[in-house]
Amino acid sequence: MNLLRLALRSAWNRRVTLALIVCAIALSVTMLLGVERARIAAREGFSQAVSGTDLVVGARTSPIQLVLYAVFHLGEATNNMLWKSEQQIAGDPAVAWAIPISLGDSHRGFPTVGTTPAFFEHFKYSLGAPLAFSAGRPFSGLFDTVLGADVASHLGYRLGDAITLTHGSGGIGSVEHADKPFTVVGILARTGTPVDRSVFVSLEAIEAIHLGWQGGAPPPGGFSIPEQFVRKFDLTPKTITAMLVGLRNRAAVFHVQRAINEFAGEPLMAVLPGVALDQLWQVVGVVEKSLLAVSALVVVVGIAGMAAAVLASLNERRRELSILRSVGAGPRHIVALLGIEALLVTGSGAALGVALLVALSALTGPWLESNYGLPINALGWSVDESLLLAAVVAAGFAAGVLPAYRACRLALADGLTPRL
Amino acid sequence: MKALVFIAALLACCAGFARADYQVGDHLAKPAKPSAHGAYQEIDWDALMPKDWDPIKELKATDLGMMRDGDPRANALLLKMQELWEKAPVEASLDGKRIRIPGFMVPLDEAKGKVSEFLLVPYFGACIHVPPPPANQIIHVVPDKPVAGHHMMDAVWVNGTLRTIRSQTRAGMGMASAGYRLEAQSIEPYKQK
Amino acid sequence: MDPSPSPLLQAENVSFRWAPRLAPTVELDRFTIAAQERVFLYGPSGSGKSTLLGIFGGVLVPQQGHVRILGTDLGSLGASRRDAFRVDHIGFIFQQFNLIPYLSVVENVLLPCRFSRRRRERAMQAGGNLEAQALRLLAQLDLGRALHARNVTQLSVGQQQRVAAARALIGRPELIIADEPTSSLDAGRQEGFLELLLAECASSGAALLFVSHDRRLAAHFTRQVAMDEVSRAAPALGEAA
Repeated sequence: MNLLRLALRSAWNRRVTLALIVCAIALSVTMLLGVERARIAAREGFSQAVSGTDLVVGARTSPIQLVLYAVFHLGEATNNMLWKSEQQIAGDPAVAWAIPISLGDSHRGFPTVGTTPAFFEHFKYSLGAPLAFSAGRPFSGLFDTVLGADVASHLGYRLGDAITLTHGSGGIGSVEHADKPFTVVGILARTGTPVDRSVFVSLEAIEAIHLGWQGGAPPPGGFSIPEQFVRKFDLTPKTITAMLVGLRNRAAVFHVQRAINEFAGEPLMAVLPGVALDQLWQVVGVVEKSLLAVSALVVVVGIAGMAAAVLASLNERRRELSILRSVGAGPRHIVALLGIEALLVTGSGAALGVALLVALSALTGPWLESNYGLPINALGWSVDESLLLAAVVAAGFAAGVLPAYRACRLALADGLTPRL
Repeated sequence: MKALVFIAALLACCAGFARADYQVGDHLAKPAKPSAHGAYQEIDWDALMPKDWDPIKELKATDLGMMRDGDPRANALLLKMQELWEKAPVEASLDGKRIRIPGFMVPLDEAKGKVSEFLLVPYFGACIHVPPPPANQIIHVVPDKPVAGHHMMDAVWVNGTLRTIRSQTRAGMGMASAGYRLEAQSIEPYKQK
Repeated sequence: MDPSPSPLLQAENVSFRWAPRLAPTVELDRFTIAAQERVFLYGPSGSGKSTLLGIFGGVLVPQQGHVRILGTDLGSLGASRRDAFRVDHIGFIFQQFNLIPYLSVVENVLLPCRFSRRRRERAMQAGGNLEAQALRLLAQLDLGRALHARNVTQLSVGQQQRVAAARALIGRPELIIADEPTSSLDAGRQEGFLELLLAECASSGAALLFVSHDRRLAAHFTRQVAMDEVSRAAPALGEAA
């Protein structure tokens, strides 16, 4: 029988109270680590969405808004940029490649991206990974479409299926472009980025489905230009939402940025995606820190509950402690006993919390990733998480040991026969 | 009492994520005497500019006092200076040298908390509201392995092999002539002394 | 087990008060216990018995005076060495709640062996392992094997007291201090317990300091002392011992 077994047996004797405390600490640990994980996942999800893109160019708005809309399809565009400007920038010797983007339509809640085949060739994500096709090929025909991995899997589409686009983001009262259906010719492999949630068509196709539309509304009287005559019209776009630019010399990014910002043709803005995201994190950072502080407070509450329970139990354990004193246990043994118990409770609480977190991550991970682009790795672990856990256990240990001094004083004062 | 200790510990962790206090335009302290640091020669940003290159030479030579107010030649001189700024040449003798240089990092590609390519600039806030540095004061750094734990505008020491790049095409909107590229073997945080 | 010439326990000029402004609870000139002696200490409640036992046990340190056990001055030992000395040489039996509720019968009996190597070694001298020694003691105290499996809280008071006695006796400490051990037992069982206890003390060679307010039990003891003879601070009794 050593101190550890003594502490275990003593704790088992009071297992109901201690179990409740373990649960409280577990939940608070889950919350603390969960908040941290979500924060890191959000940053990860955003930063890996685009790679190798030196500048995002669009009409002058806020840099964060432009990047969020052009890359993540979040929010609204305030203004478009001229196709003329895109041509001029793409033709500049400093530019290695340019991907024009036209947003505004959707398909069953998934945003539609009008672009050129350059997208499939030059767009990269997550440290230089290129796009790959799990089936089919890029679009070539006018009404061809390529689907992101999640669009295909959620809606059960395969090559050759027909889909129609909806004008706008697809709320109540949205108009369908039902007269011009598209054929699925390609499905992209998973990237873990907003690409998975997007439907890709050519810029000409966007023009084609809006032929005759004025001011965001279809021609009156149900009139529409039939599919086969569409090519008789000039389908060159007039405006696009934004463009992604890659430079021959990456070190020239600041100079090109300034040149575009001072572009004579129209008011344009060029943004380094990394800089825009950094600004976003600074804004969001305050919220993140408050969330972390709240979670830490919840942990403190859990540990305070444990300390209260330990203190309360001391009264009913005075007899037990004086018996131990009579058989030779000194103050250090009593402190050790209470310390071991505190460590046990906090440790199991922390372990249970971690298990809960892993289970939660595994359950909600896929949903979070496909709906919000947040990559949650259920089994991943970081140094910061270990530090947080160590801090929790250390605090719990301290909270359990400090009443031990009170216990010793009580035991000493009682002598051998406590006044019960 | 215990709550305070715990919160204090947590705040101490957060403090580790706080950035050093730099203002826009701040340069890092120049070493009193560039020293050798293992295999790497410590240099400062002035060494990247050829000795004979002086973009404000003409401006210095002109006697502004001789001009009338609003003289178009004064503005033309400024524009010319800007042009020269952008056509900044590189110091060819540095090609292939193993150097160590401090600067501020502008990540170009980032994922999983690691940066795989970045630009190194001589002063803080080079991407915000100030004219960009001349071509010979920006280094395109490619580390051997992606590095973790760095953020936008972090002050770092970079050790690696410098290469001077001659660009083949016309400049267009970009910089006219060549630039610097650094194959970095190690990146260290810069600590203010 | 030859009796040593110097006393087992020797207390001189002891004065103890719980707090500086209170009157002393114990004021003792001289008190000794010889090796293997059986002493009956009579005292009503409130006479300072428990305090005195605390002093003899080294749990309480008197402000004045010395308590020597086996020649060692308890006051000269540091707190943790006093704790170790206590478990090495003294076994305690209390009036009630002697046992730790979440340990088994055998584990309760073996508690002193966990804290004292001396008692562990002395217990094993008789041969066999510790558990066998505990079981042997329990058997001699009339506790059958069937009871060992029971949770200690399921035992009757009498059974609990006998387990406590076994715990006090294991490892053959030199002194057993029993503070009102029979006061919670039925009248019919008190004598039986006392006889068992005395027999075991004799066979292990321990001295016994038996404290009680019930004078009927005094007949079993060769030496009987009243509390007010030992401590001047104890209230005087109606009749002398």
